[in-house]
Order: sequence, then C-alpha cells, then structure tokens
Amino acid sequence: MSATRSRSAVLGRIRAATTTTPHAGTYESLPRAYRMQGELSSDQCVALLIERLREYDADITECTPDALIPTIATQIAKSGRSILAAPIGLPEDWLVPGCDWRVDHDLSHDQIEQTQGVVTAATCAVAESGTIVLHHGPAEGRRVLSLLPDWHLCVLKTSQVVETLPEYFARCDAPPALATFISGPSATADIEMTRIKGVHGPRFLNVIVVRD
Amino acid sequence: MRASLFITCYNDTLFPETGRAVVTLLERLGVEVEFRPAQTCCGQMHANTGFRGEAFSLAKQFVRLYADAKAVVIPSSSCVAMIRDQYPALIDELGNQDLRRDFDALLPRVHEFSEFVVDVLQVENVGAYFPHRVTYHASCHGLRALELGDRPFRLLKNVEGLDLAPLDHLDRCCGFGGTFSVKNAEVSSAMMTAKLQDVLATRAEFCTALDNSCLMHLGGAMHREFAAMRTIHMAQILASTREHPAEVL
Amino acid sequence: MIHPVLDPKLAPPFPKAALPVLRNPQLRKNVAHATDVITSKRGRLVAEKDDWQALRDAASALRAHVLENLGTYLEQFEERCTAAGGVVHWAADAAEAREIILNILRDENASEVIKIKTMTSAEIQLNPFLAQNGIEPHETDLAEIILQLGKDEPSHIVVPALHVNRSQVRDIFARTMHLPDLSDNPQELTAAARTYLRKKFLTVPTAISGANFLIAETGGVSVVESEGNGRMCLTLPRTMITLAGIEKVIPRYRDLEIMLQVLARSATGERMNPYTSLWTGVTKGDGPQRFHVVLLDNGRSDILQRERERQTLKCIRCAACMNACPVYRQTGGHAYGSVYPGPIGAILTPQLMKMEYAQSLPYASSLCGACYEVCPVKINIPEVLIDLRAKVTDQERNEERRFFDPLYLGMRMANKVFASAGRFQAAQRMMRIGLKPLTGKDGWIRSLPAYGARWTMTRDLRGVPQQSFREWWTSRANGKAKP
Repeated sequence: MSATRSRSAVLGRIRAATTTTPHAGTYESLPRAYRMQGELSSDQCVALLIERLREYDADITECTPDALIPTIATQIAKSGRSILAAPIGLPEDWLVPGCDWRVDHDLSHDQIEQTQGVVTAATCAVAESGTIVLHHGPAEGRRVLSLLPDWHLCVLKTSQVVETLPEYFARCDAPPALATFISGPSATADIEMTRIKGVHGPRFLNVIVVRD
Repeated sequence: MRASLFITCYNDTLFPETGRAVVTLLERLGVEVEFRPAQTCCGQMHANTGFRGEAFSLAKQFVRLYADAKAVVIPSSSCVAMIRDQYPALIDELGNQDLRRDFDALLPRVHEFSEFVVDVLQVENVGAYFPHRVTYHASCHGLRALELGDRPFRLLKNVEGLDLAPLDHLDRCCGFGGTFSVKNAEVSSAMMTAKLQDVLATRAEFCTALDNSCLMHLGGAMHREFAAMRTIHMAQILASTREHPAEVL
Repeated sequence: MIHPVLDPKLAPPFPKAALPVLRNPQLRKNVAHATDVITSKRGRLVAEKDDWQALRDAASALRAHVLENLGTYLEQFEERCTAAGGVVHWAADAAEAREIILNILRDENASEVIKIKTMTSAEIQLNPFLAQNGIEPHETDLAEIILQLGKDEPSHIVVPALHVNRSQVRDIFARTMHLPDLSDNPQELTAAARTYLRKKFLTVPTAISGANFLIAETGGVSVVESEGNGRMCLTLPRTMITLAGIEKVIPRYRDLEIMLQVLARSATGERMNPYTSLWTGVTKGDGPQRFHVVLLDNGRSDILQRERERQTLKCIRCAACMNACPVYRQTGGHAYGSVYPGPIGAILTPQLMKMEYAQSLPYASSLCGACYEVCPVKINIPEVLIDLRAKVTDQERNEERRFFDPLYLGMRMANKVFASAGRFQAAQRMMRIGLKPLTGKDGWIRSLPAYGARWTMTRDLRGVPQQSFREWWTSRANGKAKP
C-alpha cells in the first residue's frame, strides 16, 4: 500500500537527515531558565487573575464557600437567563431553583444550542495570562457544553489559581486527554485590528471566585 | 596604543573624509594609527549576494593581512558584522583549520570604530565641538549584529554644542541592503522614503551614522529631494573641533 | 483588482510582483496599520516579561532538539495517537496529502467540509482540489471567510486578510451574503459572519484543521485560536481531519508551557490567545468520533538534511518576522507568491520547492535582522537567506545567459579587482575618470546608465572624490597632505 510506502520513505529521509552530531542535547538537558514559580502571595495572585479577567471584559464576583450557592443564584438572576445547561457532574446544590436546568444526559447539539447559558467548574486558572483551564471532567462538562451557549458562568476556587503557566503544568499529575484554555471570551481582530468580542464561542464570561 | 585602520573599499573610494577623520581623532586620542595599503574589501558584498567563493578569498586576504595587528579599527558596522558573523562559517566551509585558528586569534582585536573609542580607549568625551542639530541613524548591523547599544549616543552627548534630535523608529531599516538597493530597487526606494520621512521630521541639520552605506542611500535621496539636511559619518563629528571644524561636503 | 498568484511555480519574481502593491497606497496603508498595531502590542507584552530571553532560549533549544530527533518523536506520536483512537496517515508530498484527505471525505460521503484556518492546507492547495472533486470547503476563520468570499488570497499567516479594510469587507459581505444594508462597522461585520457560519457549524459533519503542536508523549493535538471557530470545528462534527507538517511535533505536554507563552505574545501581542484546544485521539461522548491526522512532508525532510537551513523548521508560524519586516511592510504578503510570505516565507518557500522555484525570494530582504531579533524560536533568518542566495548563485553562475548579466559580470570583476591592492587602486582611478562626465558641478551624479539606473531612479550618488583615502595617506606620509 502506498501509505505504508510513504511512511517508510518519509521516516527514512528523516533518519538519513538527522544522523549528524546532535547539538541540541538530550531532552533532560534542555535549558529552562524561564520563570517556573510565581512570586506573588495567594491574595495578590487572585487579585492579578481578577484584574486580567476584567481586561477581557469578563464579569467577576468573589465569595466565600458558604455564600457560593446564593452567589450563583444572584449571578444567574442578574444575567436574565433561565434556560441553563449543566455538566452531568455539577454539584447538585449548584442547580439553584428558579431555572430550567438541562443536565447533560447526552444532550444533542441542538438542545445545547437552545440553552441560554452554562454553569461549570474549572481545573485551574493562571493569573499572569488570565487563563481558565478546563480538563472537561464531570463538573466541567463536555467541550460542546461550554462552547455553544452564549453565556458561561465558571466557578473557580482560589486554591485552583496559580500565578504562572508552568505552575499549572507542574500541577498536572498526568497530561489530560482533553483541555481547553480560555483567556477571555471569543474575539477577533481580523478587520483593521479592531478587537471585536464574541465571534463564535460564548460572548459573555462570568467567573465566581470562591475563597476556599 | 597602536591601531591599524581598515578603511573598507567604499569609504576608501567614496568617503575618504571619513577615513581622514578617524585618523585625526585617533591620533588626537594618542593612538598611533597605521594603514596597510594591501587592504581592499572585506567581501561583504560578495557574501550577501551569494558569491561565497569570492567572499572567502577576501576573508582569507583580510585574516592574513591583519594577523599581526595589535588592533584593527573599522569605521563601518556592516563590514565588522561581516567579519564577526560570516567569516567563521566561510572559513569552516572553504578554508582550513590553520586559517580558522588565525581568525579566532585575530577576531578579539577587530573593533568597530565606536567600540574602539568607548571600549578599548575608554573615552566617551573625545573633546569634539560640533554646533549643529544632529540626528543619529542606527544602522541595522550596528544595532542588531554588533549591539552597539548606547555607545553612539554616549559619544554624541559629549560633543560640545551638539543638539541631538531623537529619531522615530530608530530600529527601522533605511532600505539600502547592499545589492538589495538595485535588485529590489523599487522596494528599497519605498523603504527609504518611509525612513526619510522620520529623518527629515527631526529638523536636524545633519543625519549621522556609523555606516556610510546607509548614509550614501539616505544622502542620495536627500540630495535628490533638495532636502535641507546632509549626512555625515560620526567619526567626522567626533574629529571636529573649534580649530578644525569637520569637512562638510 | 489583480488576483494574486500564491503558487511559487507560477508567481512572478518578487521585484516584479511587488510593483502593483507599491503603486497601491490604500493597500500599503492597510498593511502598515496592521503591522504597526501588532508590533506595538507585542513590544509592550514582551517588555513586561523579564524572562523573555530565557523563554526564547528554551523554545529555540526545544525546537532544535525536536528536529534532531524528529523520527523518534513522530513515531511516538503515531503510536500514542493510534492507541487513543486516531488514524495517522503519512503524505510524502502535497498530491498524496490531497488524495488522502479526499478519500477520507469520500468515505464519509461528505459534500462539504468546515475548515479551521490552516496555512498547510493552503500550501497543498487543498480548497481548489476539493472543489474540483465536488466537495465544498467552508473556511470559518473570519479573515479566511473574507478571502474566500472575496476570491482573494492570504497575505499574512496569522491575520491573512490584513490587507483588506473595513469598507472592502463590507462590500464583500454585502454582495455574497446578500445583506445590502450592512454597514462597515467591524462589530456588525463580525456579527454577519457569526450568523452566516452558525448553521454550518451545526450541520456540516466533517471538519479539517491544521495543528499548532503535536504532542509525542500523548498523541495529542493542540490548536490555538481567537474566535472559537476552531473549537466549533473540533467539537461539533462527526469526523475531524488534522493536516500537520511533520515538524509540528513537541516532546511532552509540559512543553506547551514554553511554546504557548512565546506564541501568543509573538503572534497577536496577547498574553494568551483566547482559546487553546487540546484533544487526544477520540474521546467517547465528547467531540468527533473519527479522527485522522495527515503528517505532511512535502519537502520538509529535504530541509532537515542541511544543517544550517534546518533551523527553518523550528518555525511555529507566529508571523512576528513579517510584522517586524520593513520589506513586508512595504509590499504586503502577495508579492512573495506563496502562502508563506515575509522573512520566514523567503526562506521556507524556496526550500519547500527544493530550490527549483522562488529563487528571487532569498533576495527579498535588506538583511536588516529585525526578523531574527523578534523570532521566538531564534531562527537566524538572515543567515539562512544568505545561504540560500549562495545556492541560487551556484545554480545560476554557470548558465550561459549569466555571462553578460551585469550583476554576475560586476561581481566577478569586483572580485578580481579586490584580489590586489594595485588593481583596486587602478579601478578607483578608472571610476573617478569614468564617472566624471556624469558628475554635476555640485559633485553629484543624477543619472547612471545601465544597471546603475536602478540606483539613480530615486537617489543621487555622490561623485568620486578627487583623492581616495589611500592616496591621501600616501601623500601625507610623503609630507604633502593637507591637514
């Protein structure tokens, strides 16, 4: 089969081309002199994250663990939305009353498209770049769940906040199979470099930071 | 202190006043200047146009000629960059280990003019007098290949009477680029026009640089446009005194 | 409008291709504006990162390491991706990649396909090929839609429609989306594109993407983007095809901590691009359930062979080099006659063409070094440009027609002259005498004949002074010089 032939041809050419003395060294010896560890205190780190998320026009609320449920209710009420998608593993009590919750028991794309918003948890957040990381576990939901709805309410704990991107990777025990890094809502600058929010992904990002 | 002047082919032919200024200034600073008449060209034009063999023969000529020099001073950043950045590969490819050894031994003694004054002679105030408004154009090779940094500014700031006009987009190329200026003449001219706008906006009387190649390009355009500005190599400003003002052409 | 030719086999040489742009002030204004905005944003964000040089060093070393061990990492990627449910294909050249993709789409009974911006697909000219074979490709990146609907070509690898301004976008959308009342407000234009595409995302079951990174350790693929069209294409369809150059692999997941930090800052001047997606083969219940990766060689393994040019393949397609390039700034991207414009295109394109086409591109640079300075993986582009120029010269110098080519003639003569100081001094005198009749009273030359006219078309040249430096030196030594 030609596919196999191309495989061995390409790999053969690569092998033949890379027989010369290596200069770059082994993987372990590669230089990594960049900043691995943040220097900010936990409070400063959370403050920086909030500042960065606000630069992206995300809506941020802080609360204590006790106040989480009422805060979720308030944020939903403020958003004026009531038909909401929820990942299958979202804590029961986050499904606050007064909303039409569509829990993701294999919802179809059309069913998700018909919701007005989604509430999810998160895996980690990186303060320096204002990034929220989802590994799409049961409380974070399938990828499509945080994609189609126009409004994304993400609940983040301060213990999940790190200062630098390398600190997030250091926290990963094993690489995830799926991950989405969100740094602000969907945006484009393709027309005269004018930043326009909300092209295809959720146009509104709302984050609740729980001080745990 | 003894130093050998590598004047470079185009300075020798087209800008002898720059060479005279270097000699005047270095002698004033107590340097014993010598000139080896066997010198011609560093080979940059050949190398950058793709003529490696020809460039190599000139590289070899340079290394042999200056093997015993105490210091070589070159008033052209791009020629110094040629020697520093391109000679090693040329010699490795086309030369031999002996030549490479001679080159490695010589290289630390090869200095661009402002490097020589600031780093080797450790002088920033050369006692110059030049009562004019001047803007400094950082040639790409001086800026990025040699990383001259603020050396040129330190030298200019100490010139009595000199009014230094800051230049916008200091790091932007003037569009000369050697044979680029003729092979891609239209693009080169467009780049030059953009640069000239920034240069003329300084309302300086003179535009100076450490590379006469950029100045030949900008000066040629200024003359074509009847601009009220002229170009002058920095060595001429630094050589200028009340008693012997710079030869301005 | 002149339709740009982005096929190196057909495009005119760079100096000629640049002319229509140089004569189009609107286009130059659009390009200058866009590159100014990105470079200033990039500058600010790089300045705030005090470990920037350490990140560049790490990124550069990592990419160099990958290229030296490319076979190992590709096989590892293949093994892990396959284990995760993906199907890996190897394409030796563009034609094979096109056939592989077409066959997959035919197996899917696809009549249309949604696409995430991928320059690699433009490299293999996939869209026209699919269209010829009855499959309609839909670009989904805003810039790519502008180009596809406007029948235009990309002029930049990150913001491919940067040469088009808002009123031109309005005209294209109004015409093709039948929206006569559309204004030229970017917000409104973007909304029109959103509506236009939403249905496609939800109904077209096959998608094509490129890849920013292939992760050997996991068999995962990563795509960075801003708009969310990528996430739509990666998540909603039943079948996903990723086309990736063989050089795109990185060893481990963790290496993204370097690459993502340098990429976003270099590409769009952001601390992080809005969306980065990572997926590994097929995940049950989440995203496409059939996943193919096409690993494309198409000349890359040739580049790998030459040690100095190998660094070309370190490129992560951030486009910082073109934004910084003073040549690109004047000419825009179309003049390069390739989907890869700017400094990186000037070295990548001729090499991908095995030095048989695009020989004018290595000369499309003043060698100012701005590209190298901003390159996040430290590709010494000027060094490679000079090397490729030598290759072009070696190819051409024995051609008969080059014998009287003024450049070749001049270079040969100059070398003979520079070989001896005596000859050099004689040549100086001859130049002085020869140019005398052309020199005006003010000592300047306004017009040179033949090749020299390329200089004097916009610039004067100072005449040759009466006394060369060496003549002055000799006369001074003889005690005759003026002070």
